[in-house]
Amino acid sequence: MMEQDVNLTVDFAGLDLAAPVMTASGTCGYADELSEFMDVSMLGGITTKSISLNPRKGNPTPRIVETSEGMLNAIGLANMGLDQFIEEKIPVLEQLNTKIFVNLAGQTIDEYVAVADRLAKESAIDGFELNISCPNVKKGGITFGTDPKLIGEITAAVKKVCLKKPLMVKLTPTVTDISITAKAAIEAGADALSLVNTFTAMAIDIETQKPVLANRTGGLSGPAIKPIAVYLVNKVYNEVAKDAGIPILGMGGIRNTEDAVEFIIAGATAVAIGTATFVYPNTAESIVSGLGRYCQKKGIFDIRELIGCLK
Amino acid sequence: MNKAESVTKGLFQAKVLSNQQIRQCYYRIILEFDPKGSELFRNVLPGQFLEIDLSRISLPETSRIPKHLRDVSQRQVLLRRPFSFSDVMISRDKKGVSVKVEILYCVLGPATVRMMSLKNDDTINVMGPLGNGFSVPSGLSQAILIAGGMGSPPILHLASYLKQRYPECQPVCFVGAKTCEDLPFTVRIGNITGVVLEEFEIVRVPSFVATDDGSAGYRGFVTDNARHWIEHNQIDPNSTVIFACGPEPMLLSAALLAENYKLPCQVSMERMMACGIGLCQSCAVETKSSAGDTKYRLCCKDGPVFNANDVIFHKA
Repeated sequence: MMEQDVNLTVDFAGLDLAAPVMTASGTCGYADELSEFMDVSMLGGITTKSISLNPRKGNPTPRIVETSEGMLNAIGLANMGLDQFIEEKIPVLEQLNTKIFVNLAGQTIDEYVAVADRLAKESAIDGFELNISCPNVKKGGITFGTDPKLIGEITAAVKKVCLKKPLMVKLTPTVTDISITAKAAIEAGADALSLVNTFTAMAIDIETQKPVLANRTGGLSGPAIKPIAVYLVNKVYNEVAKDAGIPILGMGGIRNTEDAVEFIIAGATAVAIGTATFVYPNTAESIVSGLGRYCQKKGIFDIRELIGCLK
Repeated sequence: MNKAESVTKGLFQAKVLSNQQIRQCYYRIILEFDPKGSELFRNVLPGQFLEIDLSRISLPETSRIPKHLRDVSQRQVLLRRPFSFSDVMISRDKKGVSVKVEILYCVLGPATVRMMSLKNDDTINVMGPLGNGFSVPSGLSQAILIAGGMGSPPILHLASYLKQRYPECQPVCFVGAKTCEDLPFTVRIGNITGVVLEEFEIVRVPSFVATDDGSAGYRGFVTDNARHWIEHNQIDPNSTVIFACGPEPMLLSAALLAENYKLPCQVSMERMMACGIGLCQSCAVETKSSAGDTKYRLCCKDGPVFNANDVIFHKA
């Protein structure tokens, strides 16, 4: 039997992604480091590390610790700030033949708006991811992401300045009911949702009886969180996103094709690779190839048939 | 530019040629790189490092796992582990370049416990070469090498590198550890010279040992031992550099020693790292910035070797 080509392209909030696989914010730099390891044009897109209005030094070290099948991080949104990003990184991103999402961070709504407003005018930028779920900063971040009213306010305010570029809202799993926060984002104009961000967690050094991380707590990522993330993607898909026609970027512990397929079956239109990129920087590219093989094996000729097909 | 035009680092396979215990928790492993790895490492510098995926290696039998590591070794390994090398052997023939590296490692957690069980002909996945190595200024006539405990391997590599490539340079090495048992080298008691480290003797670099408890060599800190040597020798500050690798308090002492004698000093820093290639931003090293403020730079990408003057050391 002749092998038929599998269509891996998906429509994601109005953007045509070459494949339903992206790299997750904070795990792929500005893609420049990754291009030594893979052809990023194979991917649906990349999400830059968080950009804030002013440069942020980030937290003291230790900023990470490995835990069972996972790791905690408390980087503290270290980044070069908007001006240097535009000057140094936009020219690099312009050269990439893939969709570029910028992850937006801030301490106040005005700060988020200022960054989005400035970057919306850059043709190299295709969309935004609103980071309202970072567990490692004292102001902004997760304090926005757990309050449905604040989510609505910040999403609406940023959406106003995004021009026609899609705005994706990144949700924290550290809430009682993620469908409530998902709904708040969609009602305020979010074009897509990305979930999940890391889980607030702690590791303790039993010799010193102190937390391992200088920030005391950090965000748990990696394979350890995958089953919870799959569940939450499916929950948001069923309870909110499917009826609203809003795509989900699913993430949380994906390190191979099987993991990615689970998320797509659960309801993700595309998936993002995070922690796994640290170990094999070409993971996202291998998953793109793997998805094609999986579809062929299952007799599926369009990856879109898989989205939310959970029986 | 979707795929980088000039590739300086990458993923490749390495074959285990030997993996032997030196003493207690110290092991020496020799790896032979595949053609891709050999090509990438042909110009590697002392102080650069590599990362090994040890997540797929099984645990040794329980009886071989040190008692104090039995609990922690139950944890699955996720991230790669960074290692520096104590030697790099490069051979060239008609078929191309072939690189072997020697790594000295200390069994201290779930990944290195797994590393113990690697056998000859096993293959492992390696990423590298990573980071920036030591830089040797032109006209260097005296290199004062200071190594502490598990920071010693790249200093041994630097010693042999200087001997091979810079015949006009005289390296002298000071090695420190808590006790004689904590020295990651082969210790021999010489007739005239006292304690001798065979690995340094082989590369014809004089070495001086210091231990906290006096169980080998000078009793006290390695940096104090180096200070005595500097006091009793003619040093030309214009052509002498201190190169140091070891625990951070030792690096701070080396930096202060250098400052005292107005010598340039390069230190190789260590941080917990997840990726090794500048993605995760976890291995931050606080440095002085031009504005008088401080700035975090990355150990993996901007380092691990820094000018001591730039670093703000953590005392604890």
